Amino acid sequence: MDTVTLIQTLLNSVVASSIYALVAVGLALAFGVMKMANFAHGEFFMVGAYCVYVLYALVGLPFPLAVILAIPIVALFGLVAERLIFRPTRKNILAGFMATAGLAFILQVLAGQIWGVGIAKSIPTPYMGAADVGDATIGWQRLIVIPCAFAMLLALRFFLYRVKLGKALRACAQDPEIAALQGIRTNRMTALAMALAGASAGLAGALMAPIHSVTPYMGHGVILIAFVVVIVGGMASIEGAILAAVILGFIHTFVTTVTDNLIATMVGVGFMALTLIVRPQGLLGRERA
Amino acid sequence: MSAPEEVANTGLASATALRRFAPLLLLAAVLAVLCVLGFELRPYHRELAIVFFINVIMVTSYRLITTTGDWSFAHVVLMGAGSYGAALIAKHAGLPFGVVVPMAGITAAIVGAAFIIPLLRTAGFGFFIASFAMGELVRLIWVKVQFPFGGTRGIINIPSPEIVGLRLSPPVPFYFTCFIVMLAAVFIMWRLDRSRIGNAWKSIHSDDLLAECVGIDVARYRSLAFITGAFFAGIAGALLAYRMGSIDPRNFDLTTMIYLIIWVVVGGTTTFWGPIVGLVVVTIAFEWSRPLLEWRPLMFGGVLIFFLIFLPGGLESLFPKVGNALRTPPGQQFQRLRTWFTTFASRT
Amino acid sequence: MSLLEVRKLSKRFGGLLAISDLDMTVEEGEIRGIIGPNGAGKTTLFNVISGTHKPTSGDVFLNGDKLTGLRPSRIAGKGGVRTFQRSAMFSDFTVLENVSIARHLHARESLFGAIVGTARGMEKANEGRALEILEFIGLTAFKDELAPNLSHGHQRALGVAMALATEPHILMLDEPVAGMNPAETERMTDIIRKLRDEWNITILLVEHDMKTVMGLCESITVLNFGKKLAEGVPAEIVSNPEVIEAYLGSEDILGDDDFAA
Repeated sequence: MDTVTLIQTLLNSVVASSIYALVAVGLALAFGVMKMANFAHGEFFMVGAYCVYVLYALVGLPFPLAVILAIPIVALFGLVAERLIFRPTRKNILAGFMATAGLAFILQVLAGQIWGVGIAKSIPTPYMGAADVGDATIGWQRLIVIPCAFAMLLALRFFLYRVKLGKALRACAQDPEIAALQGIRTNRMTALAMALAGASAGLAGALMAPIHSVTPYMGHGVILIAFVVVIVGGMASIEGAILAAVILGFIHTFVTTVTDNLIATMVGVGFMALTLIVRPQGLLGRERA
Repeated sequence: MSAPEEVANTGLASATALRRFAPLLLLAAVLAVLCVLGFELRPYHRELAIVFFINVIMVTSYRLITTTGDWSFAHVVLMGAGSYGAALIAKHAGLPFGVVVPMAGITAAIVGAAFIIPLLRTAGFGFFIASFAMGELVRLIWVKVQFPFGGTRGIINIPSPEIVGLRLSPPVPFYFTCFIVMLAAVFIMWRLDRSRIGNAWKSIHSDDLLAECVGIDVARYRSLAFITGAFFAGIAGALLAYRMGSIDPRNFDLTTMIYLIIWVVVGGTTTFWGPIVGLVVVTIAFEWSRPLLEWRPLMFGGVLIFFLIFLPGGLESLFPKVGNALRTPPGQQFQRLRTWFTTFASRT
Repeated sequence: MSLLEVRKLSKRFGGLLAISDLDMTVEEGEIRGIIGPNGAGKTTLFNVISGTHKPTSGDVFLNGDKLTGLRPSRIAGKGGVRTFQRSAMFSDFTVLENVSIARHLHARESLFGAIVGTARGMEKANEGRALEILEFIGLTAFKDELAPNLSHGHQRALGVAMALATEPHILMLDEPVAGMNPAETERMTDIIRKLRDEWNITILLVEHDMKTVMGLCESITVLNFGKKLAEGVPAEIVSNPEVIEAYLGSEDILGDDDFAA
């Protein structure tokens, strides 16, 4: 690999890691709070991408505004999923998970029926041109993903560690019973967690809309990677999810550059299987006592 | 013994005999009907019935795995391993149907054995998503590798099934072939379910730590269930490969897996027959919804959510209630229905 | 050779040393009690001996066989079996089926045997033994009851019956009379004594109820902060100043109020 390709691949790895982290953080957060496992998380990503398609490509709003609007819209989807699916099935993790598989079906059909199934939606690239990094060039459209993802993750971190509501959310993730005894209302926390999960998945989808091909079924590949990241990171650990996202982002991008996308995905899943064998609790997961 | 007493006793004896043999009679009636249907059905419905038999093997073997408490998301891919195994063996080794089908089962069992090594480290939800990822890994291999799997195009021109010179491919013989294979598979799984091994599986679901402490090797029995389930999924896969004559990776994708889960959830997994009941009901509903083709996933996604929230035990949890209702006089039944409605209304 | 030997055993959970460098032996035919204040490491010791947890260092031997690192099912196969503090049972099954399932080690079945049904005779013998155990424990009347329908005392007795079904050399009872009323406690202590006297089973038990421990055990090991504080016959333990100190200066460690809960 020559220097130009190397720099290019490194930059692409950072882009991929940012997106993986955005998607997986929401999944890990929701799983941490009352074990909400959302199979439709990939479809939330898809909805985020469709928001940009509708607001930017069809309505003609400025791209940054479309992206920012996608965040609350998909957060709303998260709230609805919490209220209609996770709350009634709270006793049984698997039931909630399987029910969200049903939700994934529903969202796919709705997107397909409203905007068509066939060819991927074409979204004009808002930021043409490319940045020169050394001898390598990388499209601005890709590059802006990095600061956006960083901003979102930092905001999330600030919220979870500095804001009272966020601290309550972490307490609830650590031990829901004790949190409930301290007067933290579980229902509010689960709703908040799902809203945050939706928001981060929506942002990821919105940012990727001009790069990724937008179809009703685009969530499928996303959820696979998100699951792999979350398992490698240690299921409910947000820090673990981010670490795993970085590792897998680099693995995936480098393997893709050398071979192709399919093999890269296989290597990622293989890495997950290896992690499970060597360290079943994941990179930063806690050992079960 | 006086005459009236004797009469009363025989009456009682025949009543208990009836109760004991009623399920058997029902089973015999169903089998007889299926035999007759094999000749009488129109071609389209016969095809449906063949797919139904294959799916019966799928739901029953899936339920076998769930008795340990492990819900796999890789079962359809294991079926695919059987399909690919059967297609390749039949095509390249030219072996007859009777050899290919068990070999397809063994192929799937071997893939299952490879899956279960990392999967044993997980439980519950982790098992679910890790099995999904493992399944996708295999599916991607089929997509990617041209030889021998044929990439996205898959494998075409699978030889038609034959056994000792007898051609099984015409619709009627193939109907009965699948029927017999299905009966054998279901019978074996039924025996396992009621055996000591079946009880060991269920005990792991109930309390795995206790099971381990009274001497049940939990890792081993979970593996055994998973591999046995994979074997039968492979058998189903072989039948599918023969029926379609060509297979490709899309036959074994996530959508099919979610439908498998819908069948099982609608029926319930506590009893052996629950998943089959679910399959029957959903298959009929699926056929009725043919005019609404593109809305189907939405409808069945809704059905899945509805069952998980309002009837998590599946249709089988209604069996005892139906039985009770049949034994209750109509007046009381009405009363019961009213209380049921009021409680239902207050719950929603 | 001692029946059970614990050598330099340590177990660490993160920063907490639950058991540190513990040596202990239990002779065949003993009824040995393990006591200590809350958090002394009693249950952890059970978990490590029975294989539920792996020790950080040190070894456990049963009949000279090394148990360290074996899974609980293997240890049960070697004759060491434990009960649980909670009411543990297979809740979808009847009482008799629970005991029958727990006879797994003595009624193995092959896949082929299960399908063809070759094991009928074995299952008969197996069920006979399960009934014997239920008779001994006093649960015969409830044999066809679903296990969760039993009263708390009976559920705990079922736990012992299931442990017995594995035919152990040493039976480790984790708070066998916790939550029982006096009559149930009395019946359980009788059963435990009979197990040793008539069935030749060595007993190791963790218990908070001091009256029961002092009345039942011939020797007692006191743990504190994961270390052995004292060992000896009940009379020595009661008068050991260090033991009294450890129990927060309570004058009389027989004082029920502190320990009954």
